[in-house]
Amino acid sequence: MSIAVGLLVIVVAAVAQVSVLPAFSIFGAQPNLLIVLLVAWMTVRGQPETLLLIPAAGFAQGLLDSQPLGLALLALAPLVLMTEVRELRLVKSDLLPAVVLTALATLAYEGIVLLTLAVTGARLDWLASLVDVLVPAVIANVLLLLPVYGLVQLASLDLRRRQAF
Amino acid sequence: MHARTRTWLGFVVAAGLLLMASSRLALFEPLENAVLVVVAPVESGLRDATRPVADFVNNLTDINRFSNENQSLREENERLTVENARLLEVERENQQLRQLVDIRQPLPEEIFVAADVFASEPSNIEDAIAINRGRADGLQVGMMVVTRQGSLVGTVSRVLRDVAWVTLITDPDSAVSARIQESRAQGVVVGAADGTLTMEFVQETADVKEGDLVLTSGIGGRHPPGELIGQVVEVEGAAQELFQSVRVQPLADLSRLEAVLVLASFLPQDTLEP
Repeated sequence: MSIAVGLLVIVVAAVAQVSVLPAFSIFGAQPNLLIVLLVAWMTVRGQPETLLLIPAAGFAQGLLDSQPLGLALLALAPLVLMTEVRELRLVKSDLLPAVVLTALATLAYEGIVLLTLAVTGARLDWLASLVDVLVPAVIANVLLLLPVYGLVQLASLDLRRRQAF
Repeated sequence: MHARTRTWLGFVVAAGLLLMASSRLALFEPLENAVLVVVAPVESGLRDATRPVADFVNNLTDINRFSNENQSLREENERLTVENARLLEVERENQQLRQLVDIRQPLPEEIFVAADVFASEPSNIEDAIAINRGRADGLQVGMMVVTRQGSLVGTVSRVLRDVAWVTLITDPDSAVSARIQESRAQGVVVGAADGTLTMEFVQETADVKEGDLVLTSGIGGRHPPGELIGQVVEVEGAAQELFQSVRVQPLADLSRLEAVLVLASFLPQDTLEP
């Protein structure tokens, strides 16, 4: 049940990512709802569900964006490792690791996309990409995490209540 | 690390690489086309519905009404500037033709395909939009795309059967041969990661000032000459440097495009068969 809900949310987020999010710009960068959603899901719902959602998110994103199919999936792969880090539960707080993981996941995602573009011959200014893309993208995603984390937590509580009945 | 995580990581990386390889062979193109065709109306609806919210969030200090008014004035300004630029070009061309009466080269008739924008590339590294016209409508990679008012938007970079992706001139990988209308100084307009445009390789001695119009030069054969790109907003250059750095603002707001025109009658020279 929760996986079905998760998949539905991922599809809606992937559609919103290419239609709604580009209109919003925080410090010159558009937030990545899929990364934020996966980190929030990982923090609230745990590793097993998130492991299934990661490839679904990558595939859905790949079908809808202009990049080669598979690049989004590859760029989301580091999140698989992060689910392991999350399971260690090094701190009591849930939100703090989510913020750190969002920042790391964003850096990994944009870094992999940059690297792939460089390998395929795109003209890149690395310093400008770092200053104008990576740093603002991290800030934008961390800011988006707060409401998304709250919503996922609320939805998760509701889901648990329904499953209890 | 648990064996399950290791296995899953291997699966995700392998699937990503396999899908990337298969996309080179266009194996999933029918699926991508079908998905984009199905979601295009939903995405268009979502874009329209959330535009006022986005305007509000992006211009917290402005009232939405001013933003809309500014947008319509900008479009009107763009239309008039394009018209003015074209007239100046025609006048200049007429002068040249008067001097060369023996050389007559008929201009090909311009054929445009109108398209609606329904999505944007979600990556912060690339700047591209999706339009609801594709190979079935005669679109090909390399075709030039302009706004309804006529200023340059970008180039068709990927074509599926019913949809296409257009790389905007603000994309970091975009480069357009250009010239300043007034001084005829030549250069190359390139995009940047922060979404701005810079005209590079403009000679230090060239007369360039704020407000000058920047047009395509046609050099290299990737764009027809005389298409309006934007307006000079800043000129920087030190005496010891060979080139000036000219900041250019596109006439259209490329982040708010709703509809565009694809110039189907012009193909870049590098895509034409010898």
